[in-house]
Amino acid sequence: MATQTPKSSNSANSVKLDNNGSSTIIDQAISTQKNSSQRTLIARLAKRSLFRNTRRTLLTVLLISCSLAAILFTDAFVRGMVETMVKISTQTFLGEGQIHRVGFREANDIDLYIEDTTMLYQQLNTTSAIQAFAPRVLAGAMTSSSENVASAIVYGVDAIKEAQVSKLKLAVTQGEYLSGLEGEIIIGEQLADLLEINLGDRVVITVSEAHDGNLSQALFRVSGLFSFNERSMDIGLAFINLSQGQQLLNITGVHEVALRLQHLHQAQDDTLPFWQTLNNNQIETLSWQKLVPQLSSMLAMAKYSTLIVSIIMYVLVCLGLINTMFMSIFERHTEFGILLVIGTRTKQLFYQIMLEGFFIGLLSVTVGLLMAFILCYWGSIVGIDYSELEMSGMTLNEPIYLILDASSFTIMGIATLVVTLIASLYPAFHAARLQPSFAMRKTL
Amino acid sequence: MTTQEYIADVTNKAIPSQNTVIKTTHLCREFGQDDTLVKALTDANITIERGEFTAIIGPSGSGKSTLLQLIGGLDNPSSGDVFLDNKNINRMTGTELSDFRRDHIGFIFQAYNLIPVLSARENIEYIMLLQGVSTAERNKRVDKLMHAVGLEGLGDRRPAELSGGQQQRVAVARAMVSKPSIILADEPTANLDSKTGADLLDMMKELNEQQHMTFVFSTHDPKIMERAKRIIRLVDGCIVDDERKN
Repeated sequence: MATQTPKSSNSANSVKLDNNGSSTIIDQAISTQKNSSQRTLIARLAKRSLFRNTRRTLLTVLLISCSLAAILFTDAFVRGMVETMVKISTQTFLGEGQIHRVGFREANDIDLYIEDTTMLYQQLNTTSAIQAFAPRVLAGAMTSSSENVASAIVYGVDAIKEAQVSKLKLAVTQGEYLSGLEGEIIIGEQLADLLEINLGDRVVITVSEAHDGNLSQALFRVSGLFSFNERSMDIGLAFINLSQGQQLLNITGVHEVALRLQHLHQAQDDTLPFWQTLNNNQIETLSWQKLVPQLSSMLAMAKYSTLIVSIIMYVLVCLGLINTMFMSIFERHTEFGILLVIGTRTKQLFYQIMLEGFFIGLLSVTVGLLMAFILCYWGSIVGIDYSELEMSGMTLNEPIYLILDASSFTIMGIATLVVTLIASLYPAFHAARLQPSFAMRKTL
Repeated sequence: MTTQEYIADVTNKAIPSQNTVIKTTHLCREFGQDDTLVKALTDANITIERGEFTAIIGPSGSGKSTLLQLIGGLDNPSSGDVFLDNKNINRMTGTELSDFRRDHIGFIFQAYNLIPVLSARENIEYIMLLQGVSTAERNKRVDKLMHAVGLEGLGDRRPAELSGGQQQRVAVARAMVSKPSIILADEPTANLDSKTGADLLDMMKELNEQQHMTFVFSTHDPKIMERAKRIIRLVDGCIVDDERKN
């Protein structure tokens, strides 16, 4: 009978040296080489297996990348919508912040006005965060024409300063903006319709004076009509010059100072020092979030929509990927059986499937980010027109321009990759638990 | 039973023998339970020496493949033990068994079972990559084996681009490349035409004689039976005949 020399371990492992130190170094080198060649082998198998069924792989990649693009598009849209709504809300008339006498907003009492305006204006002029400010007096009034009567809020405004803070000047559609001359009034188009008046017609404003509540009346001629494209403003507001408003109400100060900040985000940061320095026992300075908390809450809710869309999309991604991976694995049961039979460790099979998931994820993230960038960039240039659509009592009178955010792209990209890896875990465990005899049953 | 066999049986330790490469003791494999119980293999005791060219024959369902699976460590016996190269493979952990199969056993299948996404050359060198064999050594061994099995110039082809005979030659080369002590072949010629099958068997016989590798076939093929030095006949899971040829 033929004999054979007992089988030695493979050549790479058979190196023996007298010197123990050298032997250890060589053993380490062999181990490194072995790990490296195994990693190369697993990566090669994973990469090639990925494109065994190209159509299926591409459809999976498309599913994941479209989901990622949809998430990022939603995120950019919500960011754009929030900014547009805040801009519309604050820049139309409200301002990014307002200063009032403490208690005025709650009581709406015309007696609660800021008396020492000189010092306040000096302070506002020297605050770097404030770009412009507009003092106002306001009171509920009766507006009467020769034909009709309507209630409105009459604002006395500083024509020049107001134009720097709000869009009142830009909203004038007929006639002229306030010039500071006595007797001027600009009213909303819809209020003009209600009073059945037009440019040049006379309007009588009746208010109750401060301090004693005596009625005070003044005659104005309509110098301009405005439209903010928002019904409540166009039917409920009238503007006269500040000095005449003060005269009418018999006050020397102002009820409100609207602020335009250097940057919109400053209004969202309550910790900035100027919010504190402007406040004292007499006056309070509030950002738009506190002035219109319902809008602030609505926008906070809108931000959650990104999270909800993300969760739905990621669940779909997970299910889609698990389905694809399982289809691929079931088709390759026999092949996995062979790999196990010829000495592949279950751990290596697990890594192979995980690597396939990683490659799908990497490809999908690359395509998805590219798709999202193109879509969002287009949306940031062209904008999405929701003109005349009213949302939370606000008319979206300008397009929503999408806002691309690098951190969102990074976070969502990484999250998608992590989700694909998580989705790959189940198929990978399944493959790694296969018994060679079960997997090979049909063949051996 | 000799004293040595008795001790090995009790302690599950191998009999120290330089020439025994496969030894099964009271090997049984049952499937199902109670009414559905099927005894696929019953009390199989086999000893195969190094360099033997053995054929396990028998009708379909006689337990040939089950025996081969148990010898190859692809399935766990219901009772009994399998000793390969004097090691009880039933006592090994999953990783140890994987490594043992990789280093000591070569498999050849009826359906060739090559990895479709790897070329012929890559299929052959796969096991060596798992073993961490150096590139130079891998190339040397693959070139030598491809020459030996007559596949020179076909190394870059994927299995789908090869004929059945060529694929089975790649499978033979893959089985032999790690220089295993045992090669288990399940119906290796069943899917080949008679000439290709005969050529392949001649090639395996030659390798057996030159390199003294132990071949164990499960087969119906008379050509294998002609060339085998030993024939083990199974009927209904029992060894009914064990014939050695001179």
